[in-house]
Amino acid sequence: MATLSVKIGGEAGFGIMTTGLLFSKVAARSGYHIVDYIEYPSLIRGGHNAYEITFSDQPITALKKQVDFLVCLNEDTFNKQRHLLHSESAVIFDGDEFNFEAPFIKVKVPFKKIIDELKGKVVMKNTIALGALLALVGGNLVILDDLIREQFLKKGEKVIFFNQSFAHAGFNFVKENYSHLIKDYLKERESKEAQLVLSGNDSFSLAAVAADCRLYASYPMTPSSSVLSTLASWQSETKMIVRHAEDEISVINTALGASFAGVRSAVGTSGGGFSLMVESISFAGVAEIPIVIFLASRPGPATGMPTWTEQGDLLFACFAGHGEFPKIVLAPGDQEEMLELTLKAFDLTDYYQTPVIVLSDMYLSEGHRSLRKKKVEEILFQYHVNRGKLNLNGTTSLPSSLPRNFLRYQVTDDGISERLIPGTSGFFYQANSYEHLEDGHTTEEAKPRKDQVDKRNRKWITYLARDFFLPKFYGSQEAEIVFVSWGANKGTILEAQRLLRDKGLTTGFYHFTHLYPLDREKVRQLFSSNKRYILVENNSWAQFGKLLAMETGVIVEEKILRYDGRPIEVGDIFGFFS
Amino acid sequence: MTTIQEFAGYPPTWCPGCGNWPIGQAIKKALVDLGYSPDKVVIVFGVGCSGNMNDFVNAYAIHSLHGRALPNAIGVKLANHRLPVIAIVGDGDCYGEGGNHFLHACRGNHDITVLVHDNSVYGLTTGQSAPTSPKGFKSKSTPQGMIEIPINPLALALTQGATFVAQAFSGDLIHLIEIIKLAIRHRGFSLVNILQPCITFNKVNTYEYYFQRTYKLSLDHTKDDYRLALKKCLENNEEKYPLGIIYQVEKPTFHDQLPQFSDDVPLIEKEKFKDLDRLINLFQ
Repeated sequence: MATLSVKIGGEAGFGIMTTGLLFSKVAARSGYHIVDYIEYPSLIRGGHNAYEITFSDQPITALKKQVDFLVCLNEDTFNKQRHLLHSESAVIFDGDEFNFEAPFIKVKVPFKKIIDELKGKVVMKNTIALGALLALVGGNLVILDDLIREQFLKKGEKVIFFNQSFAHAGFNFVKENYSHLIKDYLKERESKEAQLVLSGNDSFSLAAVAADCRLYASYPMTPSSSVLSTLASWQSETKMIVRHAEDEISVINTALGASFAGVRSAVGTSGGGFSLMVESISFAGVAEIPIVIFLASRPGPATGMPTWTEQGDLLFACFAGHGEFPKIVLAPGDQEEMLELTLKAFDLTDYYQTPVIVLSDMYLSEGHRSLRKKKVEEILFQYHVNRGKLNLNGTTSLPSSLPRNFLRYQVTDDGISERLIPGTSGFFYQANSYEHLEDGHTTEEAKPRKDQVDKRNRKWITYLARDFFLPKFYGSQEAEIVFVSWGANKGTILEAQRLLRDKGLTTGFYHFTHLYPLDREKVRQLFSSNKRYILVENNSWAQFGKLLAMETGVIVEEKILRYDGRPIEVGDIFGFFS
Repeated sequence: MTTIQEFAGYPPTWCPGCGNWPIGQAIKKALVDLGYSPDKVVIVFGVGCSGNMNDFVNAYAIHSLHGRALPNAIGVKLANHRLPVIAIVGDGDCYGEGGNHFLHACRGNHDITVLVHDNSVYGLTTGQSAPTSPKGFKSKSTPQGMIEIPINPLALALTQGATFVAQAFSGDLIHLIEIIKLAIRHRGFSLVNILQPCITFNKVNTYEYYFQRTYKLSLDHTKDDYRLALKKCLENNEEKYPLGIIYQVEKPTFHDQLPQFSDDVPLIEKEKFKDLDRLINLFQ
């Protein structure tokens, strides 16, 4: 089958997100692969929300721009989305509400009439529409019924049946009135594997629990907020402490206090909140307190465009914090890499006792992908916590009769010193924001200062040798054209590569995930003088290009940049060659 | 039995005659009297002359950023609520830079003890006005005199939910030790605002000034009377400073109210969560 796309649009506050996610889950449960994304304004009611889902029986990695099925919960949706339709596109709408003269397939479903008949509320329009859409693409209503049941389980049978009845009404209306249009695009596949539908934030949340993160602090900020609500909703089970503190400064300092006391801790935010955390990141650097920072970017500067996407915080993330201290920045390219790199981030921050940033953006954080359940389980269950030099059972050196000062910042070859959990008998030490001696006491002397700076800097040398990963390469090694990118652009570039190959143009693609620091020599060796390299970034400065030049001396001249708040599209890359 | 000597770190670098000396002594004596040893107590220091005590007292400690000691202390307590957690901070540190954290920590009734060195001036940065400086106070940063009225930390703490609000004076060591001990023993958020002369940069709020304007609350002062407490707190505004426990009530602490701690097992000692399957299935 071809790759198809549906888009569901309507006024904000009318359950567009829930409806879209339900469709993604029906598709995934029916054995199809999905990629989805939502566009919405930063307000609660009114304004235009649109949820788009691309699905296929083949693995897919990108959204399809053209819309094959458009569900209009209001007229505004049609007007805003019609430019994405083609002559074969079907439009589901309430003919009693509006009409249009255009060469698209009209599927008129009387939402309002059905609501009146079933004595429902206006917000149930979306459930009728979902039923109608499902009928049109040949989906299995039983699967949708199951999902509605799971959604309203706590509210009892009556509510479940009531909501299901709206889905049935929409489904049956199409069956009865538009049977000639019904296709089997979403027919339940016989050979299907169990799949999950995960957003980037879902992946971070699951991995944080799997990594034994015990304290997550955050202040709500789009697009990171759903991590806070997800982890909070699990806390009675997981026993994780999920703290919504008064501001992001308190957020990170609560987490640092808990981390000092020995529990794995993380914070999550977007650019503005991250800005408030910056002094404390420097503190974590010098005091050598582990912390995972989940930074889900949105377009800045300042409040920017809160519900849209951009990769504009890369350089800020790398260089956040006054003074010199090592920091590690990882950027997953999709939901699967988010699982892997989040797990790794918790190990790295414990191992190197320095801040680790997991960099995401709105497109990755809030968009969903279907993933094989087995693969997710494999990643999460095969993981084992590695806390590095944190000594959980006291220390190897025996305590004297009186508690004595533990050498928390002992100078070592790898730059990493042993760490004790406060309360460990026979010792004490302080984590110091001032420059300090090996025992943690404040110093302003020249030699110990230099020793500690060198010690901290050696962590990077150890990291580059032990834990740094070069970019993954996709495509043909022989290709003359090689894309260079990072983060959520991955899936779009892979799809563009496929389309270009169909047109006879083979390409390569370096997808960087371990963004900072970069290994100068190893990265330089990847680039040859007789190839054409093209940077692809979702920002206006080509920030990774600058980082690459600074860290390795590699300069990439050609660039595909997008910075209008929308993710890079396949067309942006494809169009570059025409 | 521990001794003061076990808690003694490096020799202090405070000015001779500074109020920090008796406060430092009182803290160590209180810890000894309560039977703690340096390996069983956590102290979070702010930044300022008070925070410099980090090197003079032995304990598991954090020398935090300016203003951020309270959230650090809250984090430590959440991770291991069996450890006593004390924040040693200054007035500019806690009421200025960290003012937001202060009022929210009161609201949460976090079980931490906050000992504020209140000298009404910035000492370590060599004499600028503080949020506690009197109106009209001339300093390096306010040569024309302070325009704002001083903050009232006692009334602020009381009205924001602190369950232990006390004031002490560095010129009365025996009383100070007792108040600190009671503050540490208190379950819930405890504040001791410690009036302290800065002999170098504050020529207004001197020992003489406080000797004349402080008084001890009578022994029959009712500690759980909120309105009476508020009245007493507001006396600071009239430059009349009550010393002692102005307000104390027993209320569930922040961690008492977290279902995660219904088993009373500290976060650090809990078993790793194992039922990932159920969470994974939520996404099917």
